[in-house]
This record gives sequence, C-alpha cells and structure tokens, in this order.
Amino acid sequence: MEMQSVDHALQSSPWEPGIFGLAVFGAVVLGLLGGLLFLSARLTPGRDSAVKQTPYECGLVPAGSARLRHPAGFYLVAMFFLLFDVEAVYIFSWAVAFDASPASFWRMAFFILMLLAGLAYVWRKGGLEWGLGKRG
Amino acid sequence: MGPGETRLAPADGPLLAGLDRIADWARANSLWPLFFGLSCCFIEQATAFTSRYDLGRFGAEVLRGSPRQADLLVVSGTIFKKIAPVVLRLYEQMSEPRWVVSMGSCANTGGMYDAYSVVQGVDQLLPVDVYVPGCPPRPEALMHGLTVLQKKIRAKERPARPILGLAGGSQGSTGPVLADGRTKDRDPRGTGYAGTRLRGSSVTPPGFAGNRAELMWTPPAAIYEPEEGEKRLARELAERFGTAVRPVSPTSDMPIFEVSPERLAEVLGHLKTESAPRYRRLEDLTAVDESARRERSGYPDFHLVYTLTSLDTAGQVRLKVPLHGDRPAAPSITGLWPAANWYEREVYDMFGIGFTGHPNLTRLLMPAGWQGHPLLKSHPHRATDMAAFTPEDARAAEPPAANAILGREVEPGGMVLNIGPHHYSTHGIVRFVLALDGEEIRDVGTEIGFHHRAAEKIAEHQSWHQFLPYTDRVDYLSGAANNLSYLTALETLTGTAVPERAQVIRVMLCELFRLSNHLLWFGTFVQDLGMMSAVFYAFREREMIMDVVELITGARLHPAWFRLGGLAADLPEGWRAAVDEIVRVFPGRIDEYESLFTKNPIFKARTQGIGVLSTDEALDWGVTGPNLRACGVSWDLRRNRPYGAYPAVDFELATSQGGDAYARYLVRLQEMRQSVRIIAQAADMMPEGRVKSADCRYGLPDKAAALTDIESLIHHFVHATRGPAVPRGEAYAATEAPRGEQGYYLVSDGLTCAYRLHVRSPGYANLQILPMLCRGHMLADFVAILGSLDYVMPDIDR
Repeated sequence: MEMQSVDHALQSSPWEPGIFGLAVFGAVVLGLLGGLLFLSARLTPGRDSAVKQTPYECGLVPAGSARLRHPAGFYLVAMFFLLFDVEAVYIFSWAVAFDASPASFWRMAFFILMLLAGLAYVWRKGGLEWGLGKRG
Repeated sequence: MGPGETRLAPADGPLLAGLDRIADWARANSLWPLFFGLSCCFIEQATAFTSRYDLGRFGAEVLRGSPRQADLLVVSGTIFKKIAPVVLRLYEQMSEPRWVVSMGSCANTGGMYDAYSVVQGVDQLLPVDVYVPGCPPRPEALMHGLTVLQKKIRAKERPARPILGLAGGSQGSTGPVLADGRTKDRDPRGTGYAGTRLRGSSVTPPGFAGNRAELMWTPPAAIYEPEEGEKRLARELAERFGTAVRPVSPTSDMPIFEVSPERLAEVLGHLKTESAPRYRRLEDLTAVDESARRERSGYPDFHLVYTLTSLDTAGQVRLKVPLHGDRPAAPSITGLWPAANWYEREVYDMFGIGFTGHPNLTRLLMPAGWQGHPLLKSHPHRATDMAAFTPEDARAAEPPAANAILGREVEPGGMVLNIGPHHYSTHGIVRFVLALDGEEIRDVGTEIGFHHRAAEKIAEHQSWHQFLPYTDRVDYLSGAANNLSYLTALETLTGTAVPERAQVIRVMLCELFRLSNHLLWFGTFVQDLGMMSAVFYAFREREMIMDVVELITGARLHPAWFRLGGLAADLPEGWRAAVDEIVRVFPGRIDEYESLFTKNPIFKARTQGIGVLSTDEALDWGVTGPNLRACGVSWDLRRNRPYGAYPAVDFELATSQGGDAYARYLVRLQEMRQSVRIIAQAADMMPEGRVKSADCRYGLPDKAAALTDIESLIHHFVHATRGPAVPRGEAYAATEAPRGEQGYYLVSDGLTCAYRLHVRSPGYANLQILPMLCRGHMLADFVAILGSLDYVMPDIDR
C-alpha cells in the first residue's frame, strides 16, 4: 500500500519537464556564476607578487615538494567506502521498483554476493588495516 | 554613513559616486579578519568574538585561517624581530584590498618593550589604518577600532575607479610604511626631554652615572637558617669532595655551594642519586654575567647556577659554578637530567657559554643569525640603542628550514609536516616540525623564541618596583599570580613581612586567576578536539571572573596590583557580593562541563591513553603543576612548600593516575573546584588590618600617609622615582602558578635595579617533553597532546 501511494504522488505532480524550464534554469545559473566571477575579478586589484604566489605555509617559505610517496592506507579505506557506498544506490532503486518476482530477487542476491566476495578479498588482502604501526 | 561623518567631496559624477558608496558599504560591513595573534592582546581580541561582546554585530566575526581568505589583519600583540618575516609574509599573502588594525601598545610602538628583540611598532613593516591604544586594549576598544576602520572605509575610500579599471580612486591601506628614526621618532624620552639621561640606562651597569644607591642605607639581605638535614648535607659534601665544593654563607633562601667545573657532574650526580636528602629535580639552570659587578675583583667572569629540589623534604640547594674567560665552557649535564637540554642551549644562546657533550648546542631563543649574546652586560638592551629594524631586515631573517628544526633528515617515504609559527592549534607563536610515517608521528622538532620579550634583560634596567608590570605579562593568562612569584622572591631577599590581610587577598586573587586560566585552557582544549561548545561556556564564566578582578584591581589581564610588602590598595566596596556570586555559581557550572565531557565517549577516545607521561619521566624533565599531578605525584607548592596564606586554607590536592591527556583534564577540572573552595574560605576568613607592610624600607608607604607625614613622603618619593636599593645577595622563590611552578631567581648588587633576574617558567619544562609524548601517536593526537599540556608562549620564551 505504501508503495502505491508513492507512485500516486509521483503521477499527480503537475510539473512536466520541458525545454523552456531548462533554459530559464540554465540562464539563471550562468548569470549568477558570470556575475560572481565578474565581480570577484573586478573588485580586487589583482596585483601579483612572488610572495603572494607562494603557497601559504604557516607564514614560512614552503620547503620541499608536495609530490611525495605517501602511504596509501587512509586513501584506500576512503576509496573502499566510496565504492561500497555507491552500490547502495543500485540496491535502493531496485528496492523501490521491486516487483516481487523470484527472478528479480535472485538477480539482486547475486549482485550482493559478488559485493561480499569483493569485501572478503579486500579484507584478506589487508586493505582495511589502517592505523598505528600498520603500513597501509 | 553614521552621523558626523563627512565624505570626500565627490569629484566624479553621480554614477561613480554611487558605485563608491555601494562598494564601501559592502566592504565596511563584511571585513574578514585573519586568525592571527601574537600575544596578550589576542586574548582580548578572542574575547571580543565571544557572546558577551559579539563582534559579529559589526560584520567581522569569522576569523579566517588562511591569509588568502582574509582582508583584515589585526596585529594583536608584540612584533618580535624573530616573527617579523612571518607577519610580513602573511600580510603580503592576504587578499586585496586589505586593511591593518594595530592593536595594543606593543604593535603601536613597541610599548613597554623597548628591548633588543622587539620591533618598535608594526608600522615599520606594514601600512597601518587604525591604532587601538591599550595594554591590552579591552574588547570594547577593539570594537571601537573596528568601527573607526569602517568609518575610514566609508569616508575616505573611492573604489569605483579602480573597480572599473579607470585611473585614480583609492581602496585599502595606503598609509606609508614608516622608517624608524627618519619618518618616526625613536627617542624613548619623548619630545622635549632630549637633555635628560635615558631612563634605566644611566643608573645601571656598566654606566652607573647618577646612581645614588650608595647614598641609601640598607640593612643586609635576609639570612637563611639551614635546617639540620642541610647542615648534615654540607658536612657530607665536604667529606666527599673536599675543597671542590665550598659552602657559601650567609644566604637568603637556601644552602649555596660553589663547585669547581671539573667536579660539577660528579657533585650533581651525587645530589641526585646518593645524598641524603636526594635532590631529584633540576629546578632551574641559568647563568650570571659577573663582569659588571661593582666590586669586580670578588667575582669570576660568569657563574653557572644550578637549583635542585628535593621532593622528599621539599628543600632546595643551589650550586654555583665559577667560570673564567670570554667564552668559557662547562660539562653538559644532559646525561644526568635530560631537561638540561634546553636550559643549556638557552645559556649558550644568551651568554655564549659552551657545554661540552651537549647533543645539539645551537641557539634556542634568538634567531639563528643573531649577533652577540643578549644577556651579556656588553649587549645593548634597548631596541632604540640598535640599528632601526626595516622590512628588508625582516625579509632577510627567514626562519630555518624544517629539517634543521628536526635535527635530522627524514627517512625516504617519510613526510615532514610544518605546524606554525602561525597556526590555529599552536596556541601562540611557536613552530613544530613533525616527521611523519603515514599518519604516525615519528619525531617532533620544536622551535621557540618567537615570543622572546627580553623580560630578563629589561629587569636589569628597571627599578625593583617598575619591573612588576612586566611580570604580569610573563604568563599573560595568570595575571596577579605572576606578581606573587616575583614578590615572594623579592620579599625573601629583603626579609619583608607581609600583613595577614594582604596575604589572604593575594591568595584569593591568585585562585581567581587559576580559575580563569583553567577555564581558558578548558575551552580551547576541547575545541582542539573538535568540539565547539565548551569555549563559549568557558568565556562566559571567565568574564564573571574578569569582572571581579576588574572590580578589585581596576584591570582585566594585567593588574600589576601586588606590591612589595602587600598590595596596591585595599579591597573595594562590594567585593564580597561579587566574590560570593562566583562561589555560588561556579560549582554548578563545573558540573555542567563535567556532564558534557567527562564521560563523553568521543572525548575519552580522543584523550585516554594519549600522550602518556610516566612519573619518572615527569620528575627527570622537571614537569610541574597539573601535568605532574596527572602522573599521580602528590606535589603542590601550596601544600609542600607553603607560602603566603596557603597554610591557613583547607583544600585537597587534585591528582590523577595515568599521566595521559584525560588525566590532565581531570586534574584541572578538580583544581577548579578546589580553587572555588579556597576563594570561599579566603573571603570568609578575610582578616582586618593593613594591606601594606608598615616597614617601608623597600615597599611603598601608604599614599594617604605620604600626604600627611614627611617620613612617608620621602620614602614614597624615593621608591617611586629611583626605587629602593635592595641589599647585595640573591634569592629564588617559586609559587604554584596555574601552569605549574613559576620561580624567580633574583640577584642584587645592592642597586636600585636587579643585577640579574631569571624566570623559571613551568611551560618551558612542560613543553620540552613534547616529542617524547607524541612519538608513535597519530597526527590527530598531536593537537590533543599539545592542548593538554597547557602552555603559553611568553611564559616559555619570556
């Protein structure tokens, strides 16, 4: 019953997508962006100097390079999180459109099993090990 | 535009004039200040952002962490020569148009600090739009400065032409950068006094001209009667070391032994591990340049001074090591006490004395390229005695590279992270260099000295009374508690008795400042952990205390209200109600804080087991105060070596176990409760009587008496002008300041100024342990550890 009422609400929306609305929206966005860019370019004197171009480093001259080999532990954890998080999008949209057929159920079950296999692999490889004394 | 403001007559048509108005209105009402603070003034600046003052009303509330996003630089505090390159670079990296408010006497002119390390006004480096007077200015004064700047923008700036790319118009700071001695006066005597001698210089070594101390009769210095155990110790040392250890007598504060440099390490080792009693802690290590003594033949060229403390008997002993030659050397004792590391570096930096066997004997406080050693009697003491400081000097004096601070190269794959000197979480201008492996801290290097205000050199040129306001500024969050440390040492040396009422009032004030200090620590520490709310509560309560302090002393941060032998004045009418209100309200507020954080799982996860300090390490490194008591050591000068009225009040020592950041939090919260108890007791027992010693040999007599009898008038005149002559001798005394044990070592040569003054500051010892606490922790823990130590930079750099 819950599902149907959602469908009903969607169907009853008076809004119909059309090219005019998109054009107005686009014009407003471009106008705002252009205006802001124009103002910030004009309002500041825009004088450049060597000191101003150097990166801000707590008031000192930066030393060394930012291009260095950094242990990737935190980056990996963040990446895995994103990957598994994005898959939730598929699962939610599947759940909304779920038609209670066995075929549909088994397709998603297979998808989730594949994800779990991926998670197990990452886990076993030590991709989630992150913290003190653990070089990720 | 407010009433009374006049715009420049519009030379342009209505279109440009209208655009001027719109741009000026927008800019004046949305200024973006840089998060930038140098010293005491920044505390009042930060206060201006809190709820009571609410600077947000003026459209300048969001402090920006990066100069790229800021267009207003509020220079709040002293510009040190060592920090000048940083100030200049930050200004040049700010977005344009930009404005500068110079806040406080130091930023305006150098203020009280006409000293070798201080730039005499920020207008020598940057164009300044508005000067806010005060030391420090109140938050209201800063607000006034901000509104003056807004008026200036609205009335004087015509940005339409530059905005449209036309010639002419004006926007942002345009004032000239002044040149010291050319476009601004550098005569410290002021206009019309060119015929007089420079104050402070003529009566002190090596000049002495005009010194009248010899005409003033003074009794000899107070005499210390050694205890039985100390007499035994003297015999023990005589038996063991023979003539290498020579007792000095009489003394004023503790037994003193003169030790030959050859046997020094041996004697110190004996005192630390074998003697009875054992002297476990290296309390202080400093030096005295004896070359300007009036009876020169009786002294060597230098004395190294080692002060040791026994935690068993609470007794102390001082060893003095005579050294001869221009650049003498002594053995390093870093093997015995690791804490000696910074102390020896400082002595090397300030006196040029070498230490053989020191792992890294480089300058500590002064910039690497500094010429000379500032605490030598031959080094100039005033900035105005030295060449004028220019923006070119600032650009040339770049702080050393990160690896130099770390003391080594980082292994391949490691990363060097520089934090400071201008950074949100450093709590003042100090620089840390972290060697990281991923997010794990492998090592920490510390560079201090950015806040070196030359207090010790200044003391040699100000009369004993004149120096008092400088003590307030040593630990600018502890106000009157600083006065007490200095005066306790001075009263020990002169043997001045303080009336009972004055002692109780002193205790009450010191505990009020302990509360105020711990509140500020609490707010900022919790904020460092990423929780915003505490700082607002803390500043709300802190304002209550500031109000009481102001009611009693007339000042907020720097009362300079204690006097040799008592106080500047009696308590004002209405003090009792104000103090009672704090005593009534506070316990509930501390409960509130505790309910927010003590059992908070996130707070605990961020602090428990973080930055663990063991008891042995704490004692070896001279850690004092709440940081020591968090290691389970029940040691507090108020209890173990009581001074003033503390024996008469009842309080519990706050201790905790574990020595981690959480334990330090618990100790400070508990101390706040105990401070409220002490304040309540002090208010209840407040005895009647004088607030100033009746003996005005050294102290100022009552002003009222000075107006009625000639004897008091003479003393008042003499003490307020040339100052009292303090008898030849030396004394050290420490008090339990909010951050730990703050001691003053005073040496007098019988003159009206100190011959040498040294501050043993708690933060100096407490910050030196930082690398030890951080190794093996995550980067995010660094900020938690730093916050939990509770230091303040002028107390470390002095």
